[in-house]
Amino acid sequence: MIELYHIWKQYQKPHWALSDVSLEINTGDFCFITGPSGSGKTTLLRLIFREIFPNEGQILVDGINTLKIPDHRIYNLRRLMGIVFQDFRLLFHQSVFQNVAIPLHILGLSPKEIRRRVFNALRQVNLHHKMWELPQRLSYGEQQRVAIARAIVNNPKFLLADEPTGNLDPELAFEIMNIFKEINKQGATVIIGSHDRELIRYFGDKIFFLQKGKIIGKEEKT
Amino acid sequence: MIFRQLWYLIKNAGNNLWTFRGRNLISVLIIGFSFLVIGIFLALSNNLTYLGERLSNNLAISFFLEKNLKDEELEFIKSQILASELVEEVTYVSSEDARNRFAANFPELKDILDNLNSNPFPPSYEVRLTDKILSLSAIVYFMENIKSLKGVIDFQFNQEWVEKMDSLSRIVRAIGFFFGGILILASFFIISNVVRLNVLARKNEIEILRLVGATNTYIRIPFLVEGFVLGLLGSLISLIILFIMIKVFPIFVGSSLGAAKDFFSLRPLTIEQSIWLIVGGVVIGILGSITSISRFLRI
Repeated sequence: MIELYHIWKQYQKPHWALSDVSLEINTGDFCFITGPSGSGKTTLLRLIFREIFPNEGQILVDGINTLKIPDHRIYNLRRLMGIVFQDFRLLFHQSVFQNVAIPLHILGLSPKEIRRRVFNALRQVNLHHKMWELPQRLSYGEQQRVAIARAIVNNPKFLLADEPTGNLDPELAFEIMNIFKEINKQGATVIIGSHDRELIRYFGDKIFFLQKGKIIGKEEKT
Repeated sequence: MIFRQLWYLIKNAGNNLWTFRGRNLISVLIIGFSFLVIGIFLALSNNLTYLGERLSNNLAISFFLEKNLKDEELEFIKSQILASELVEEVTYVSSEDARNRFAANFPELKDILDNLNSNPFPPSYEVRLTDKILSLSAIVYFMENIKSLKGVIDFQFNQEWVEKMDSLSRIVRAIGFFFGGILILASFFIISNVVRLNVLARKNEIEILRLVGATNTYIRIPFLVEGFVLGLLGSLISLIILFIMIKVFPIFVGSSLGAAKDFFSLRPLTIEQSIWLIVGGVVIGILGSITSISRFLRI
């Protein structure tokens, strides 16, 4: 479960990126955070995996106050999460396989298990045939799929994705959402920042509407 | 599992060293150059130390004795001289030996000697000092001590040489501390900045690793391995270049220095010095990595 209480975040005065945001995301939710560009979607996701700190407020993940986790222990939180970054954050001097394998090497899995899981993850995003390519030789959409494969490869408890289908054609975007849905069925909580209305309407079980850093609405399918 | 991770990280470091080979080559050359300067200084210092030792081999003191001393008295004086750890060897020179030596060294003055009624040369003990670098004050204390013994009239000693040698060894040490200290400090800053540039260029990689759940140790290890390898290669290169310089120096530069050649020659480093140079390179490489990477581990 992820709980945010009265979160305030400011990058530059006088504008608040988030003002007094409180929300709860239950375990197993398939949830969208939506709103126009600059509404605070990315900031909200970055706060959840603690890439940044709020000016005020509390963030609890599975009951643990993430703001109190010391820097050298933050890996415990990050290992629970698969993250798809808006800018992908791939290592361009390493192959697609090596990029996707990073979280598994960190966990110290055997080479055989790593190969198996990486192949499966890449097959899910339909990129297994480009396993040994360097990311710079891939299209924007393909790079995005590598980032998705890396996020799902270690079966995370929470999957956070920032505009994961922003550069994909509608057909592939639906495929990716189906993958996320599949991971969600296996027990992962999925949180997606997106402004793709069609996808949100089709897949969203729980939707938070953000505008100018404030939650202006919430919708939940029953 | 730990060994598997360690092996992966070491392989990763190897890949990074190869992938960024241009940048790493520059780092190795800078490290190599810094240590080469230290190596050249060490080789010069070795040469000065060697010259000092050679000088001290030539140092001798003559203690002049009263004539007609009894054997026991002569033995007592000899035993007192030998009791000092500064002394390598003691030789008794009788009045007759001294006269003969003078006659042999200065044959043109033989007539004057023959005209004298008595032998003007007193017997003496000639003392050769040890090969170790000696302090002037210790030598003076020793000479005054022996001179105060009954039967010893005077002593003769080339004090000027000892003073020169003493000041030479002081200069060698002072230069050593001064330049050595500055160069080691400068090398550390150069190397840590080179490693910092490496770390900055891979800031993105460190961030990604942090965000996908890597521990600080996991992130540090490849950088430490890379620092180790760069430091090791840099110091090895400096030793190889120094070795070549020592071989080539006398051929191309030695003869043009004339009399100063002895002072500016390079003597090879001892095994111990070479090992310290390599250890220094490795330690500086690793320290440079540690100090450079720390600030990126707070993401």
